[in-house]
Amino acid sequence: MLNTFQQASHPVLPTATADEHARQEFAKSFKGFIQSSLLPGLFPVYGGRVSKAFEKAHGRAPQDRRDIRTGMVDDLYFQHYAAANRIAQELLWESVNVSVDRQLPELNAKAAELSAATKAQLVIPEGFEPPRYVTALDIHCMPGGYCSEVCENDISVGALYDRGVFLYAMGYTGPDNDDMGRSVVNYLKRRMPDFQPRRILDMGCTVGHSTLPYKELFPEAEVWGIDVGGPVVRYAHARAAGMGLEVNFAQMNAEETTFPNGHFDLVVSHILLHETSGKAMPKIFAEAHRLLAPGGLMIHADLPPFDLMDPFTQFILDNETWYNNEPFWGAMRDMDQIDLAERAGFDRATVKFDTAPMAVMEFAAAAEGYSQEASEAVADREFTAGEFAPGGGWEVLIARKADAQAKAA
Amino acid sequence: MSMTDNTERPHVIKDAKGKRPHFYEAPGLDQAMSMIMVLASEMATLRDRLDSAERVAKAHGIDLAAGIETLDLDQDALEEREARRQGFLDRLFYLARKDASEAGKVETTEGYNATIHDIAQQ
Repeated sequence: MLNTFQQASHPVLPTATADEHARQEFAKSFKGFIQSSLLPGLFPVYGGRVSKAFEKAHGRAPQDRRDIRTGMVDDLYFQHYAAANRIAQELLWESVNVSVDRQLPELNAKAAELSAATKAQLVIPEGFEPPRYVTALDIHCMPGGYCSEVCENDISVGALYDRGVFLYAMGYTGPDNDDMGRSVVNYLKRRMPDFQPRRILDMGCTVGHSTLPYKELFPEAEVWGIDVGGPVVRYAHARAAGMGLEVNFAQMNAEETTFPNGHFDLVVSHILLHETSGKAMPKIFAEAHRLLAPGGLMIHADLPPFDLMDPFTQFILDNETWYNNEPFWGAMRDMDQIDLAERAGFDRATVKFDTAPMAVMEFAAAAEGYSQEASEAVADREFTAGEFAPGGGWEVLIARKADAQAKAA
Repeated sequence: MSMTDNTERPHVIKDAKGKRPHFYEAPGLDQAMSMIMVLASEMATLRDRLDSAERVAKAHGIDLAAGIETLDLDQDALEEREARRQGFLDRLFYLARKDASEAGKVETTEGYNATIHDIAQQ
């Protein structure tokens, strides 16, 4: 399959010169190559070489992901694989950063103009302190992280994220980067056709790419996206306005928002939890429970727990922890999310993991570069560790808050 | 930020916070691999640009791509190209050339250090 997926433009998306665009395409191609051609080689390297060497040295077979890692880090093939992954990530950000820098004053001005023209709210409180788990390291090696501002009303890291995440996902999440949100909405509409949320909250929304499908597909609902990064919500607000959707955004911490009790019928997050911390995650679950109206749903689309995978798969996935500034990636997968949800107040019987099928097929042939064949190939893959996006669909954790009657009983 | 950019305006943050891991045992190889991939990226970028040139020309009625395939190189062109290729290989292998030259002149690290020492003498 040749991946020719192209991102759709919108008014605040940074543009690229021909050479900038070619460098960005190269970074995307390089990532694709690593997954399709270098990643599969890890299996024979481990089975035919590394595990045997480990056994010889330790007198026993490797037992868990830590043992496997101990053996693999000394192997030249793995070193090339891991170095290539890291370099691809760095080239990706660099290729976008150059174009954001070139047009930064114009992008900031455009965002301010779009934001001023929409009725949707943008709340950026004075003196907001983002939590340490997002500021200690620049997560996934994105220069500046989610919170850095290089001037007043800056959106630079938002612009960097929007273009960068498309390349990171190699377009698997669609021309507007919105596959995760779109897939969850599709899931809800198919499984619960009567569910009509009046207010929807997207926690850890970054640039609102997953948030917008909720407004598009539940047009009557009041939709909010919150994130600890000021520049990203500022960008999100302008981006939504530029795409013609009235969605509210606020700089807020999902552990402790300022919304009243029972305010939302649906609280969602997309790849948020693995970028938080062991202390924050229970608080986020508890906050979601507090914010939900009786009968409301909490849905987190993130990474499936390690206990569902074999040790070699765990090892491959855990490379993100070690090599891509994702400090909580591995530890998060060791947490018992069902238990966390129960302790947050959800009835255990209503908590489950499920798969929301990828919506990428909907883009087939309708968006630039999304050929029928390539879109199908993405949607129908088997799960392969180390590839972006699980084949088949997104793993979602779903919990339902008890309705008022049941609670009173 | 380019070296010639003297304007007073904000610029993006260039480097990600967080100690970069190393992957190879040989010192310098991590940096060398990054440089190789940057060069590969530039090569792909250049190739894309040539492809664009062919497509733009074609849109204006000039089939560059077909012309390139059927281009007959005269003697001057053959010589110019071969000289360019040899010059490129020369630059690419400048360290090998230097190594052989040092071997021929019996230049050694000890000799270099001795020269520094001698010249410093007052």
